[in-house]
Amino acid sequence: MATLDLNAISKSFGSAKVLHDISLAIKDKEFVVFVGPSGCGKSTLLRIIAGLEEASSGQIVIGGDDVSDAHPVDRGISMVFQSYALYPHLSVYENIAFPLRVQKMDAAEMDSRVQKAAAILQLTDKLQLKPGQLSGGQRQRVAIGRSIVRNPKVFLFDEPLSNLDAALRGDMRVELSQLHRDLDATMVYVTHDQVEAMTMADRIVVLNGGRVEQFGSPMELYHHPATKFVASFIGQPNMNLIPATVIGADATGVSVELDGGHRMALPVAAGTVKAGDKVEVGIRPEHVEVSSKGLEISVNVLERLGGVSITYGVIGDGTRFCASLPGDAVIEEGRNLTLSVAPENCHVFDANGDVLRRQAAPEMVA
Amino acid sequence: MADVMHADSSATTKRERKTIPESLFAWLLVGPAMIFIAVIVAWPLAETIRLSFMEAGLGGEKFIGLENYQDLAESRKFHQTIVRTFYWMFLSVGLKLVLGLIGATLLNAAIPGRALFRVLVMPPWVIPIAIGCIGWLWLYNGYFGVLSGVMMHLGITDAPFEFLAQKQSAFYSAIATDVWVGVPMVTLFFLAAMQGVSRDLYEAAWVDGAGRWYRFRRITIPQIMPVIVSMSLLSAIFTFNSFEIIWILTEGGPRGATTTLIVDTYKTAIGNYKFGEGSARAVIIVLLLGLFSLAYLFFLNKVNKKYGVK
Repeated sequence: MATLDLNAISKSFGSAKVLHDISLAIKDKEFVVFVGPSGCGKSTLLRIIAGLEEASSGQIVIGGDDVSDAHPVDRGISMVFQSYALYPHLSVYENIAFPLRVQKMDAAEMDSRVQKAAAILQLTDKLQLKPGQLSGGQRQRVAIGRSIVRNPKVFLFDEPLSNLDAALRGDMRVELSQLHRDLDATMVYVTHDQVEAMTMADRIVVLNGGRVEQFGSPMELYHHPATKFVASFIGQPNMNLIPATVIGADATGVSVELDGGHRMALPVAAGTVKAGDKVEVGIRPEHVEVSSKGLEISVNVLERLGGVSITYGVIGDGTRFCASLPGDAVIEEGRNLTLSVAPENCHVFDANGDVLRRQAAPEMVA
Repeated sequence: MADVMHADSSATTKRERKTIPESLFAWLLVGPAMIFIAVIVAWPLAETIRLSFMEAGLGGEKFIGLENYQDLAESRKFHQTIVRTFYWMFLSVGLKLVLGLIGATLLNAAIPGRALFRVLVMPPWVIPIAIGCIGWLWLYNGYFGVLSGVMMHLGITDAPFEFLAQKQSAFYSAIATDVWVGVPMVTLFFLAAMQGVSRDLYEAAWVDGAGRWYRFRRITIPQIMPVIVSMSLLSAIFTFNSFEIIWILTEGGPRGATTTLIVDTYKTAIGNYKFGEGSARAVIIVLLLGLFSLAYLFFLNKVNKKYGVK
């Protein structure tokens, strides 16, 4: 296995620049997930690493070797495609063996590798079947098997679970994490699903508009999102972002007045913000609780999920707000609800969308 | 009251539905098509079969049993025609498939001006066969034709070469024209099939190190195999029945060198007014093509199973 370094990778299609100077250092045996909305460039970046697209500029280094101009097969990577890319006319065995046949590998060695991969992926009894006779999850395993047999330095996954139903996706997430542990391999995984990113990744790269918004561990992204985009992308349900005005800023933090009149003192690094600046306060739905004093919301929709009640409403002048409350919380649609949030759990984003680093637990000001 | 009326109308609808059985409705739907087929296919076919047991000409009809078939079985000339027809068919279809495959591969490749080439491949198919064949007549002409002129210019021949006057050259010239007419259709069908092959399959193979030829052999050909089989049969039937090209170019000559079964049938029945003998030949064509179709269905089924087509 190997490290993967991307140095100032850019990509343009005609006049449209889709990747902007992306530099990442992925460690050996690390599971890194590229996540972002459609069109953010995550798949393009993966295809550049694979050698399926040529970068307009920049350098790709795998295991210390510059492979920027190397043929895909010489990069020491293997790739699992979103569509699985299985050959429908070939049996499972032949699909897994395909890369080895291309290499004209000795039959005994090839058989041994295929059988080993099949055993890891529980496909031994399916080897003679055609892909059309398999379930979605089994097809996905065959695609992974085809990538395993080559013993690549880096595994690349391009949204491999997006064609599966929700239940199977959950199972496959666990299987892929297990596989990462078993193979002890460097893996790069592309998805638009933040749940996949949070549950599987050692580190996550959040991409937006062809730029890296943040590169960090899942909990780092959750607790310390660098930008408003990361904050709203990571976490389910999405973080509430409430427009506010700074009424005071000092070494202890920032005091703000939310649109609607509510005031809060928040322990964040004030940075360059000053009284009168417009900011946004981020509050995660799971960080609020029903209280007698605090933020008043008018409940529009209530989703009882059993363990939690996802409550949608509006605050003040109409800003939408979502709260994740206990499953048996006494809430009614059409009624008002008062919620409180610990100031240390609040995030503040300046007018550019950059975070003011959280410092300590602030108190809510009535 | 409104409820009662609603109930009544609902009951009426149910009664009405019961009065038109599903099977009758189905027959009503397919009826017009069946009548159409009966008039233009079934009746002429039945009439052809009936005539094949007759000695039929301008003078009238006389039942002679299997005598027409017996004559054909004993006719050395007819046997030669069958052999020639199959040779004509296999050679022409083979060339169409090979050239179609090459053409489709080129048109599917990311080459500049691909859209223009895709348009340029169409004319032989679009131009009426008669007009195209007249063009070929000129090409094959010994004194005015380009081909003969080029051959003389290059020193291949020292005198004008009349392509359609020699037995062998007439046969292969007719095949060349037939291939020219047939290749565009085969090319476009192959092209459509190739475009249906997922790009991911090629990319996956490329990442695995498969070269261009390997990808063509191991991915493209198996993926379009059902279309290759279908086009083989369609092309075989069209070529077997190809009449206009031969008739316009050579009328089956010289000395029968380009007379295939269909031309022989036409000459016998329409040219010589031997409707009974011509019908017997037509029946044999139908039987041969029927056997061909059965073999095709069997083969296609096997191919679909082998290549994972549901």
